Amino acid sequence: MPDNNPFPLPKDELLDAYRRMRTIREFEERLHVDFARGDIPGFVHLYAGEEAAAVGIMKHLWDGDHIASTHRGHGHCIAKGVDVVAMMKEIYGKKGGACEGKGGSMHIADLSKGMMGANGILGAGAPLVCGAALAAKYRAKQKGGPSDVAISFVGDGASNQGTFLESLNLAAVWNLPAIFVVENNGYAESTARDYGTAVDSYVDRAAGFGLPGITVDGTDFFAVYEAAGEVIRRAREGGGPSLLECKMVRFHGHFEGDAQTYRAKGELEDIRANRDCLQRFTQAILGAKAVSEAELQAIDRDVLGLIERAVAEAKAAPPPDAADLTTDVYVRY
Amino acid sequence: MPSPPLPRTTATPDAPLVGLIANPVSARDIRRIVANASNLQLADRVNIVLRALATLAATGVTRVLMMPDRAGIRAMLSRHLQREHNLQHAFPQVEFLDLEPTSTVDDTFLAARLLREAGAAAIIVLGGDGTHRAVVRELIAGADSSTAIPIAGLSTGTNNAFPELRESSVVGLAVGLYATGRLSAEQALAPNKLLDVSIQSGDGIRRDIALVDAAISTDRYIGARALWKPEGLHSVFLTFAEPHAIGLSSIGGLLAPIARDAPGGLAVRLAADPARRQFGLLAPIAPGMAREIGIEQFEPMPAGRPFAVDLDAGVVALDGERELTFKSGERVTVTLRENAFRTVDIARCMRVAATAGLFRLCS
Repeated sequence: MPDNNPFPLPKDELLDAYRRMRTIREFEERLHVDFARGDIPGFVHLYAGEEAAAVGIMKHLWDGDHIASTHRGHGHCIAKGVDVVAMMKEIYGKKGGACEGKGGSMHIADLSKGMMGANGILGAGAPLVCGAALAAKYRAKQKGGPSDVAISFVGDGASNQGTFLESLNLAAVWNLPAIFVVENNGYAESTARDYGTAVDSYVDRAAGFGLPGITVDGTDFFAVYEAAGEVIRRAREGGGPSLLECKMVRFHGHFEGDAQTYRAKGELEDIRANRDCLQRFTQAILGAKAVSEAELQAIDRDVLGLIERAVAEAKAAPPPDAADLTTDVYVRY
Repeated sequence: MPSPPLPRTTATPDAPLVGLIANPVSARDIRRIVANASNLQLADRVNIVLRALATLAATGVTRVLMMPDRAGIRAMLSRHLQREHNLQHAFPQVEFLDLEPTSTVDDTFLAARLLREAGAAAIIVLGGDGTHRAVVRELIAGADSSTAIPIAGLSTGTNNAFPELRESSVVGLAVGLYATGRLSAEQALAPNKLLDVSIQSGDGIRRDIALVDAAISTDRYIGARALWKPEGLHSVFLTFAEPHAIGLSSIGGLLAPIARDAPGGLAVRLAADPARRQFGLLAPIAPGMAREIGIEQFEPMPAGRPFAVDLDAGVVALDGERELTFKSGERVTVTLRENAFRTVDIARCMRVAATAGLFRLCS
C-alpha cells in the first residue's frame, strides 16, 4: 500500500467506494429533477445525503449476503451492485427494469445480487431478513466456514413497527447472522424522531431484546465502515445479531414533492454545507493524497455518462403490456 | 404512612445556579460489539439526574440549568419533573439552555460555555472520559484554574477513568453544599492535572487536551473513534494511573501507579516489535479486554516538560478516542499541566460537612 494512504482500504477500494457514493448521489439528484418535470410515475423517496451508510456497510458484503431495504431504497440497491440502468427503467415503469417495470421505485429487487427488495411497507424488511439469515445459518452449518449475513435497513420511524421489534427478538432467540441497521435521519416522514419514539436510543432498544447495539456517525464513511466491519464479522463467525444505528441526514423531503415545512429555517442549507457525507469522504481521501483529483474527476465523468444513458434507455424502453400482467406474480415450486 | 411533602422550592434570580450536562450518547460506541461494554439506558440516565436534582433541592439549590438534547433526556426528564411537580416533591427549577442540539460534541462545548456565561457555581457532568474532556476543554479556555467553574463528574461512559463511580444523590448533596456557600472552595474543590497535546506543522499548531490518557497509535484514521486494538499502540501518556482503572490508563496503573492528586504523570513507550520489548504486561485496556501489551520503557512525566512523539505518522487518541491524525513532517508533543482545573471533591465535601455538622437539623 502506498505510504500516503492512511485508510483501512487500499486505493482501488477507496475509488470504488467513491464511485458507488457518487453514483447514488447523481442518480438521486437526477431523479429529483426528472420527477419535478413529471417524467416519473408513482412516488420516489431519495437517499441523497445518506450514501456513506449504504456504501460503508455494503463494502463488507458479497453477493451471497442478503439485504432488505426500505421505501428509500435506491442507495441500498446501487451500493449492493444492482444494475443502474435496470433500476432507472424500473423507476420509469418500463420493460427491462429490475422487476420488468411493474414494481417501481419502492419495489426494486435483484436476488442475483442478494437484494431482496426495496419495500413500500414500513418495517417489512426485518422479518424477511430473519428468514434469509436463518437460511444463511443453515447453509453455513452444512458447508462450514463463515456464514453469509442478512441485513435489514429500517428508518427511525419504521423502527417503531411491531415487525421490527418482533424481528429483533426472533434474531436474538435464534442467534441469527442478522444485522439491523437503523438509518436515523431524524424524521419519520415529517415527525421528529424525538417526538415519536419513546425509547429514544436504539442501543437501549437493542439491549431490551438482548443484543448489542452501537451508534455511529452515519455521515462519516470510515466510522460506518469500521463499525459495520465488526458487526458483520461477528455475525459471520456465529456471534449473532447486532443493531447498528447510523445517524445521518437526508437532503430531500420524505418523498419528492414534500414541502418540508417541518424543518427548521436554514436546516437544509446547513446539512448540505456541513454534513455532506460525500464531501467529507472526498476531502478525507484527497487531503491525505490517497487518490488524485484527476482520478475522482474521471469517475465523475463515468457516473454522469452512466446516469445519462440510464435515463435515455429508460425513456426509450416500452412499458409493460397487457400480456405481462400475470407474469412474475406466482412462482411454481 | 407516607411522609409529608417537602415544601416546593422557589427560585430567585440571585439564587445559586448549578449547571448540568448529561451526555445522552456516551456508552454507545463500538466497544459494545467488540468487548461487551455495558450500555446505560436513557431511562437510567434520567433517574440519575432526578436523584441529583432531588438532593440539590435538599441543600437549597433552587435553579438548575441543563444542556438540552434531541436524544430523549430532555423529553423524558420533563415528563418526570411534571410528575414530581404533581406529587409536590421538592425539586429545583430546571431550565434548558438556549441552544439548538446537534447531537454532536459541539453541544457539550456550547453548553459549557453558556453555563460559564450564566454564572453557574458548578457543573455536574454525566458521561464518560470523553464528555468530561469536552466540558473541561471549554471551561479552561480563556480562564485560569482558579476561576474556571468546578465540575462534578458522574460516570455514565465506557472507560470512566476520570469520573469516579458515585451515587448521584451524594454528588447532588456535595455540589449543593458548595453552590450554596456552606463549603468554601478550599474545603470543596480539588486541583487536577491534564495533558496538553500539540501537533505542529508548517500550517500552524493544532492543540487539544486529555484528562487521563493521550495514546499514540500507528492507525492513521479516526474511523469509529474508540481505541481498543492493542496492536497499533505506540505510546501512552498519563496524568494519573490507578491499578484498579479500566482503559489505557490501566497500563500505567499496573506498571507504576500514580495517584490523581500526586505530582507528575507517566510516559510509557510500548513495543509491538518483540526485539524492542522489555516485558509483556497484562492490562484491561477496555471493558472485558485484558490484553498483553509489550512494554519498552516507562518514565515519570514531570509537569511542564514537553515529550516529543517519535512516530512518523499516526493518530492521537484522547481519553480513549481517536481524535487527531498526524502525518509525516508534523511534530507531536505531550506536556503535563498541574493545577489545570478544579473538581468538586465529593468525598472530602461530605467528610468536612459531617465533621462540621452541616447535616444536623434543629429538633
